[in-house]
Amino acid sequence: MKLSEKRIITLVAAFALVFGVYPVANAMHIMEGYLPVQYCIVWGVVCLPFLVRGYFSIKKVVSQNRKSITLFAMVGAYIFIISSLKIPSVTGSCSHMTGTGLGAILFGPTAVSILGLIVLIFQAILLAHGGLTTLGANTFSMAIAGPLVSYGIYILCKKVKVNKRVGIFLAASIGDLFTYCVTSFQLAAAYPSDNGGITASFLKFLGVFAPTQIPLAIIEGILTVVIMIMLESYATSELIDIGYLKGEINNVKVK
Amino acid sequence: MREIILFVLGVLAVVVLLMAVVGQHHSQDGKHHHHKIGHKHGEGFVIDMHAYASKIRGWNPTFKVSLATVLLILCIALNNPYVSVAVLIAMAYLTMVKGGLSVNEYLSVLMIPIAFILLGTLAIAIEFSFDPIGQYHLHCGFFYIYTSQEKLKEMIFLILKVFAAVSALQMMTLSTPSSEIISVMRKAHVPKLIIELMNIIYRYIFILLDVYSKMKNSADSRQGYCDFKTSCYTFGGIAGNMLIISLKKANAYYDAMEARCYDGEIIFLEEEKKFEINQIIMAVIFVAVLFLLWGFTK
Repeated sequence: MKLSEKRIITLVAAFALVFGVYPVANAMHIMEGYLPVQYCIVWGVVCLPFLVRGYFSIKKVVSQNRKSITLFAMVGAYIFIISSLKIPSVTGSCSHMTGTGLGAILFGPTAVSILGLIVLIFQAILLAHGGLTTLGANTFSMAIAGPLVSYGIYILCKKVKVNKRVGIFLAASIGDLFTYCVTSFQLAAAYPSDNGGITASFLKFLGVFAPTQIPLAIIEGILTVVIMIMLESYATSELIDIGYLKGEINNVKVK
Repeated sequence: MREIILFVLGVLAVVVLLMAVVGQHHSQDGKHHHHKIGHKHGEGFVIDMHAYASKIRGWNPTFKVSLATVLLILCIALNNPYVSVAVLIAMAYLTMVKGGLSVNEYLSVLMIPIAFILLGTLAIAIEFSFDPIGQYHLHCGFFYIYTSQEKLKEMIFLILKVFAAVSALQMMTLSTPSSEIISVMRKAHVPKLIIELMNIIYRYIFILLDVYSKMKNSADSRQGYCDFKTSCYTFGGIAGNMLIISLKKANAYYDAMEARCYDGEIIFLEEEKKFEINQIIMAVIFVAVLFLLWGFTK
């Protein structure tokens, strides 16, 4: 056996060992320190217009009706808890929902951007998922791009009169997949491949994370449908309160 | 020169580990806790618990948050393996020796992002090609996976950098309760509405967590998690119920706040924690050492 072969086998063995010990599936928060400085700043700046828009929309609602502040806070806490719960999985691994698809369908993407930012800060502080320097990149992929796509698909499905459950499933799972693609792109842009550049690197990151992220997206879709069925059958009045049946949280009317 | 630096860093790492182990031995006083290193989620948040129990909780929160931020920025801006190792050692010293966290618990928190780090760095290190190129290559049917010493080195350095940054962040989170971090953000002039939301959300998280664990227990005792399909229904049911309950609670809490004269601003009583001149001097020296390390090994 050549020396290089030995090394590769050791590497693969170490890899297998580590994954035998840590069966983790929710690995899409970009970790602290992973991105070079310029990318941290760029993604933060890209987020700003969305966040400012979300900030003013929340501010407007709160100044019109101060009671809605506890509602927004509860929604934020709800998204956090949903994203920190261990979801049922076939392999016994430890995985989580992103919860942003559900949030976008229920409360609209504008409110979810600011709440998502806060949730991501708490995930970094309380759960050690993600980080402060990568907050911009994570906010863009999880609190802005994912929810926007989810919401867009949900509205589209409603317009073309697809079965509501199918629409919710597609919205949640495609939103999740889109988050995963955006994160892969963010990683690829920061670490392009030597031959093939960003595209090759993008494909590599997609491939490496696919085994965990694709099943996760499907499970997230199913769970979101189950949650929405449950809510629609037992909580119609609450859903009207949070403006779900009209579409945006801006229409909040508190009793 | 580099050998000397490497040697000194190695010795420091061993010393810190020994100090942490000895410290832990003394503070255990008969009780024995067994903790497995790994990714785990309890019903509560481990990091929050450690933050309240930390011995360096009494340090000024602004100091801790600024130190962590400066180190984070230095880690990624200088992008130097020696700096990363120095930060890693110093943060381990602060958290374990000064903060009194046990080695096992520290490692188990530090290891949370391990899956992402390994997958992410692996994707950087390996390349695919149809021709047998590169320093090391592995033939897989019709294509080759290849890598080189350069790439593997880059991968190791990146892992070091990520761990250094994570340890700087965790020095802060493992010693500063969230309410203090939020108050530092308030002093840094983050918009008032966001601070307000963060303060309330932080409190609601624990209320919802309590609701969740009750629902989960009662579902579990009724065979709610017997197979995958039932688990999905149970999960959906719990999540939906939680939304209803949280909306109800939101109304009730607003009334409770208004009854206590809430007029759009919540002001919390904060413990006064003085800046210690010694700590600031040490921090400045440490940052200077990091710059020197970077300068010598550039």
